[in-house]
This record gives sequence, structure tokens and C-alpha cells, in this order.
Amino acid sequence: MNSGNWFLIKSLCDLSFRQCRGWRIPPRRLYANATSFPDYFKNPIFRKEQQGKLIESGELSKLAAVPVKPPATYETCSVYHDPLVNKVINHVMEMGKKQLARSLVEKSFENIKRTQIERYHLAPTPEEKNKIELNPKIILHKAVENCKPLLQLSPIKRGGITYQVPGPITEKRSLFLAIKWLLDATNDKDRTVHFPEQFAWELLDAANNTGKVVKRKQDLHRQCEANRAYAHYRWQ
Amino acid sequence: MLTRNWRILSRQYSQAVTFRTNESSPQQHNEKQTGLFYTLNQDTCKSLFSNGGFPKSFLKQTKTFTETAIMIRQPALDLINCIKSTNFDAPVIRYVLYGEKGSGKSLTMAHMIHYAHEDGYLILHVPWVSEWLRRVPRHKEMSNSQTHEGFVDLPLDAAAWLIHFKTQNQALLKAGELKVSEEYVWSKREKTEVGAPLSELVEHGITRVKYACDVIYALVREIKTLSNKKQCKTFVAVDGFNSFFYPLTRLNTPTKRKVKPEEVTLTTTFLELTKNDWTNGVILLSADQLAVPDDHQESYFPRYLLRKKGFEHLDPFVPIEVGRYTEKEFLSCASYYRDRLWLRGPPETEIELKFTSASNPYKFMEQCAPL
Amino acid sequence: MVFVFCFTVKHSILATRCSVRGKVLSNIFQYRTGSSRVTNNVTDNLTDWETLSKKKKISKAMKAYLERAKEHDEFMKKQHFEFNVGKRHLANMMGEDPETFTQKDIDRAIEYLFPSGIYDPAARPLMRSPEEVYPARKAAEFDEAGRPHHFLFYTGKASFFKVLYDAAENIQELQKFEDKVIRKKASPDPNNSLKLEGSVWFTKEQLEKTLVETIEDIEYTNFKNVMERLVSLPYSYRCKDFIEQFRKPLTTQRFALEIPKPNYDEDGRAFITTYECLRKKARGDVTIKSPGTGNISINGKDITYFEDIQSREQVIFPLIFTGMQDRVDVVCNIEGGGPSGQAGAIRWGIAWSLRSFVEKDMLEKMQVAGLLTRDHRRRERKKPGQPGARKKPTWKKR
Repeated sequence: MNSGNWFLIKSLCDLSFRQCRGWRIPPRRLYANATSFPDYFKNPIFRKEQQGKLIESGELSKLAAVPVKPPATYETCSVYHDPLVNKVINHVMEMGKKQLARSLVEKSFENIKRTQIERYHLAPTPEEKNKIELNPKIILHKAVENCKPLLQLSPIKRGGITYQVPGPITEKRSLFLAIKWLLDATNDKDRTVHFPEQFAWELLDAANNTGKVVKRKQDLHRQCEANRAYAHYRWQ
Repeated sequence: MLTRNWRILSRQYSQAVTFRTNESSPQQHNEKQTGLFYTLNQDTCKSLFSNGGFPKSFLKQTKTFTETAIMIRQPALDLINCIKSTNFDAPVIRYVLYGEKGSGKSLTMAHMIHYAHEDGYLILHVPWVSEWLRRVPRHKEMSNSQTHEGFVDLPLDAAAWLIHFKTQNQALLKAGELKVSEEYVWSKREKTEVGAPLSELVEHGITRVKYACDVIYALVREIKTLSNKKQCKTFVAVDGFNSFFYPLTRLNTPTKRKVKPEEVTLTTTFLELTKNDWTNGVILLSADQLAVPDDHQESYFPRYLLRKKGFEHLDPFVPIEVGRYTEKEFLSCASYYRDRLWLRGPPETEIELKFTSASNPYKFMEQCAPL
Repeated sequence: MVFVFCFTVKHSILATRCSVRGKVLSNIFQYRTGSSRVTNNVTDNLTDWETLSKKKKISKAMKAYLERAKEHDEFMKKQHFEFNVGKRHLANMMGEDPETFTQKDIDRAIEYLFPSGIYDPAARPLMRSPEEVYPARKAAEFDEAGRPHHFLFYTGKASFFKVLYDAAENIQELQKFEDKVIRKKASPDPNNSLKLEGSVWFTKEQLEKTLVETIEDIEYTNFKNVMERLVSLPYSYRCKDFIEQFRKPLTTQRFALEIPKPNYDEDGRAFITTYECLRKKARGDVTIKSPGTGNISINGKDITYFEDIQSREQVIFPLIFTGMQDRVDVVCNIEGGGPSGQAGAIRWGIAWSLRSFVEKDMLEKMQVAGLLTRDHRRRERKKPGQPGARKKPTWKKR
């Protein structure tokens, strides 16, 4: 068989063979591996309550026809999985050490629980007992709620002077700032006190609307109020 | 929106499961009470366990729950039955508790000590052997032994143990019927005569820390003779016994040489004690993975943990496995935690926790912590 | 004014619809196969011998175009001939019947004769019909007088702008229809609305392929915006055909097809094995046995094989989601990867096997929860000149 007859072997094939010096085949794929799902994949819904809502509204079968991303490795359908807790664990995590971050946050929850149970046992009347919140997750939610700022200051330069102008803040950024401030307050502490205990104290303080973090938020609000005059710079 | 299975399971888990029993004396505990919690008296706790005996995490739990409650489990009941039916004229039987990490060996031992205390035994309890051999702060008080050549003494640990012994056996020592049978000369001016009460020997060891290890050795010999003479029945409990047979300790001589356990006087003392050449007693040991460093924690079986020497030393012994929670025990523990406000949330959490903790008691407690 | 001649010829084996009348014309039409755009106007002008005798001036550009078209035609004819001959030779070599030698047989034969270790399928040796190998070319867009056929010829991308023009027309039409309906005080029928969940718009490459024209990114975004606008109108179902032309259906409902039936082992228990459970570098297989008590065994060990809680939670996630945690036994073998990858592989394996033991509505719920999607993400390689896959060295303005 003449090789001339087999003309339809693509020229690209020749080129690539020539490129591998001495017929050495490249050991890896020539194109990049997929590192994320394409845009048309939808987010998964696996919490029982959310699925219940979907079933009621009748949209379950529609969504079942669409490709769906798989849930992340730290998300489960279990009852004690909370997206806010996961977010906090991610913020605490450094260098990708998820296990360590998770154990720190869990230990701080344990500390919160122990302090609250102590207070519960020391409380004299049943009304006071009812007021004490024993679930650490609810305390975390409350603390984060109390630390969320409602405005933020953005530096705007006009005529050579940088003004701190108050402006609106998105929900996501507000949540991010709240968690960041909590962790900052926890991390500047003395060396002898460990992270879980300090974090527990900060959370309990914040849930009571006292403490360093809430003060920082209130300072920010006061600054915004003071700089009210510059607000028009946002639109100039 | 719960399916039928969920509903059945939730009903199972939310029914009021009785988890307590009022029977606070271990002598009355029987098969009907497996899986139930009994509370210990605060004074008994203090006298028996103030210097050790409970794991640290359990101590924290007692503080949070404002009470000390131990679960009655099958291995403890087996032991009680065995002890009740032993022939005290035969040489002592050695029982070895073994199990995975966190399955409840130390607490079973605590349960047995309580039983022995109620029954009037003389208790020799070593709370955790690795405290001596592996917990080494910057500067460990060590001295070369004077009576035994080339051996190392741990005076402060020995003194602490003597205090522990004293508090545990206050009643028996105060009664003053146990007498020393030999004369011990400590130095030119100090000696203990024949016929002195045992408490005096113990006091001497506590006050003169230098001689504490030798005092313990003497004490052990005395107790053996007393038991043989049927003047008292002895209960020996050692937690983490396999630590004596591990090749290395963390102790260093002043010359920076690592010390082997065989060169520590306390080791020889307790190996003497656990030989089965005496009668009228019970020996309860535990082989724990946590007593040895992480490299040698592959298996939890006694043959692996005790190594050749320990196995030969203890052979023959009765192995008792302390396993994970059964269904009933798990449910009872979960309802106890709910009662004590340690576990909150919907009943489905229990189903999940059963799987994630694999019914291991310690892991279950750990995982309930943040919930 | 810049003339943009499209010197491309689209090949199709369809016979030309135009009729060849004159001798002069025969020269032209021979080399213009498939030029269905030729209208009768051209032929009308050149019917009688008077006009034929007049020497029609053909512009130089036209001449060059015709030459190239002729060349290309000849080339393609030759390629076709050689392909067919080669196909018959190949069939002969492989010992098969040349008459019934399909393209699939050709592919198999080439793979056998020219084994290639190259990963990319596009770079391996292939033997295909010339239409698939050589890029498509457009038919003649103007007649021999130089007059273009398409009214948007001078935009340069006639078919693309025709699409946008059609879309705009449709939008206007739909708005007029909506006004009419509102005047009649009626409302749109919700049953008629378009169902677009199972499809996506064509990608840029696919659009280029259908229109045989190159498209810029800006133009593609424009196209998408226009189509979205068309779809958003309440009466868009009236233009369903036009919209469907540019939608690509996604592979859906794969999870509901081919659910395997359980086998029965010695004890009479039903069991299903899923092989090839992958996640990152972990590989394994999962067996689910039906009447069971909730025992989980991984590589012979209990669930304590995983020491961290997160992996254990992932393993029991599908069981708890479907409520089958007390009714099945799980046996898996896993190797490679780390704890998180192995746990993810086992999770997918359990969910995939549970399809056979679970009702249909639970199947849909699992799909919406994403438990049945294979996670094909892999680690991105580090690039040279950068510290990591995406991280770049510090950006210096100057």
C-alpha cells in the first residue's frame, strides 16, 4: 500500500507527530482538565425544608430535568448542617486545614454551651431559665446579626482630598464584615487564652449586644452619621 | 414532610426512655439495669476519685451536668458476677479490660472501684500509668534510687500516689487493724517497727518524699502478706498497664539517656503486685492504646499492646472486652444527654449521630458537644 | 468602498437547481456546484444568441473568483474520488465487503492500523469524507454581473445579521400581537409557554458552524441578548421554530434511564454493584445489599475507616436523605486519593446504587439534590511562570 494513497491522514497528525521529538508521546492531556462545572449547571437543593417547598410549588420535576451540580464535601442534608456555621468555619480556616478549623469552631460551641448551662443552673427562677439561650448555633446567628453594619465608608477623592463617604452595603459584604470583625477580635488576645475560649466569649458578648465587636460596629455607624455631609459626593 | 419510616423512627427516639436507676449501690446492680445511669454520691466521688480515676473529659462533664453518673454496662456486670463467685483461697485472678479508644474502659474501672469500696476491699488504684512514665514537664523530679542500684525514682509521683491511696482507704486505715509485719529502717533515725499500723507507713512516705518509692515497695509487700493471712481483701486496679511494657519512657537521666520502664522502681513494684503468687484479692488491669505513642497504636488487642514480656507476665488472665454502645445503651445515653441539656435538636440528630460516631461512647459525647 | 468578496464555495452534493442553457453559461455553472442562489434573472439575460454573441465583460474580481471556485470544485471532486477508492482498498485490506463498509468500520480499521497514544482525539489519524475534513465554504453570493443575492451582503456577515433582523422582526410582531390581545382584554395561556430548561443557546463555535461565518465575541453577546429578549416576551411560543433553531438540548434525565435490576446472591439478598466510583484520584466500587441493617463496611473496616466526621457525614448523606439507613448494607472498596475524595466517591456510588431500591419521586429528589451528578472536576495544573494554577506573581504597574 502506497502511503500516498492514504492522503486523508490529517496534516495536523503529522505536525503533532513531528512535534513529539522522536515519537515521545506527551504524558499529560493536551487540554486542561475541567476544574469547575459549566454555567448551565444549577445549584443543588438538598435541605428537607427547601425540597418540601419545591414539592409544594410543583417545580421539582422541572428542576429534575436540568443538570445539577453535586453538593460540596462539607454540605449534608442532616439536620445540624447550617450554612452560616460552614461559612464561619471557612473563614477560620487557614492553609486549607478544614479539620482543624472545624474542631476549633466546635470546641468554641462547646464552651458556649457549658457557660450557658452553668448560668442556667445558677438562675433562680424558671423565667430567667427560659431566657437563657442554650443552643450555640442560635447564639452565633444572634451575634452575627448584632455585628452586621448597615452602612460602609468608601474613600472618594475630590479635589485632592480623600473623603470617607457613607454609603449602602450589600447583604453579603455586611455578613463578611461581621464575621471578619469577630475573628479579628478573637485573634488579638493574650497568648495563654486559646482560640475556642476567646471566640466563645466574643460570641456571647456580641449576642448580648456588648463587647468589642459591637462597639466597632457602633463606631462605624457614628462615623457614618458624622460624615453625613459628604454623602452627596457619591453622585458628583 | 416525613415519610412513614421517619415517623416510626422519630416515635422510637422521642418516647420517654428511662435512663436512670435509683440503685446507687453497685452491689445491687444486676442484668435488668444494663444501659441505665446511676448517680454517685458526691462524698464518695471525692474520697475515691479526687486524685484521678476519671478521664479529664468526664470530669468536665460532671461539672456541666452537676452530677456524676455512670452507665451500668455488660462488662462491669460480668466482672461483678465473677468477683462474687471467686474462690478467695486460690491465687488472684487477673482481669484485663481492652477495647477501642473511648469505649469506656476507665469508667468501667471506676464503677468497679466503687463496688470494691462498698464491699470493703482495700483499694490499690493507679489512675493512669502514663502520668508517671510519659507526662514529663520541663523538669521532672527524678532521683537515682538508693536501695536499688541503677534504678530511677520518681519521688513526687510516689508521694502523690500515697496521698491518693490514703484518701481512698481512709476507713480501713483509720480502723487500724492492719499492721506492719516487718521492720523497715529508712535511715539512722527513722524506722518503722513491727506492729505499727499501715497508716503510719503511709504517713511516713508522704512526709519523707525521699523514701516514698521504697515506702510503696514495702507497702505492697505488706499488703500481700496481709491478704495471704486473710486480714483484708485487696482490690488492685491499674489503668494503662501496657505502658509498663513499652520499650521507652519519656524520662531522661541527667546524662540525657532515655530511661526504660524496667529501670523505674515503681514499675518493679507494680509488677510484683500483679504477680499471681498471693490470694484473697482481685486484680483489674486495662490495656489502652492511648498509653503508648501514636506509632504503636495499630490494634487494641492485649496481645499487641502488652507485648511479649507483659503477656508472659500476665499469663494466664481473663480478657474482658469493653465494646461500643448497643442500641438500647445508645438510646439511653442520648436521652440522658437531652435531660442534662447537653444534646438538643430534633430526634433525627440521634439517627445521624449513631452513624457518624459509630456508637463509640467518647465520639458520641464529642459530637454532641457543639449541637 | 471595500468590496468583500467571499471566495468560498459551500460543497453539497445536491444537484444544482438551475438549468444550464447556454454554452457560455455551461462553463460557469460547471464549476459552481450547489449554487442554488442563482436566480432566473441571470439566465433570462443571456438566452438569445444576440446577447450571447456580445462579449459580456466579466470583471477581474469575478474572474478570479470563478477560477478559484473552479479549482476548489476540481480539488473536491478529486478528494471524493480518492476517498472512495481508498475506502474500497481499506475494506479489502481488512477482509470486509467493500460495498457495506460504513464510516464506523473505517474508524475502527484506522485505529487498528495506526494505533496512537495521543490523548486528544482530534490529533489522532482519521479518515473521513472530504466534507467533514475540509471546512465548509459559502455558495456563490453574487451573480455573474456582480450583483449580490442577499440583501445584507454588504454587511460582510449576511446570515448572522439576517438572524438578528429576523429576531427583531419577530419581536415587533409579537408586541403588536400582544397589543391586540390586550385590547381584546384577554391574557396569555400559560400552557403554551416555551419550555427552555432542557436546552441552552448555541455556543459561539456552534453558531459559527451553522452560519459558516466568523463571529466576534461582542456580536455573540448581542445575539444572545436579542434572543433572550425574544424569549422573555409573553407570546414567544409563536416563534417557537425560530428559537428552537438556536437551542441545543442538554443531556438530561440520564439518571432515570437504564436503572439496573438487582442481582441475587447466595443468601437470596438483592444487591447492586456500582463500579468506577471516581472523585479526584479515588477509585472504587460500592455494593448495596437490600434487606440489611445499616452496616457499613469500607475496605473491610467499619465506618471508622474515616477518622474525621466530615467524611463520615458524606458517606451517610445519601442513606439519610433517602431514609434507607436502616434497610440496606453497604460494602465498598476504595483506593487512591485522600479522605475527602474517597468519601465523595463512596457518596456518589451509594446514591447511584440506591436508584434501584428507591421510588421514582425520591429519584427526582435525589437528582435535584445533586447526589447523582458525577463530579468530574480534577486538579488544575500549575502553569510555568506562575506560583500556582491561578495565582500570579505580584502585579507591578510599571
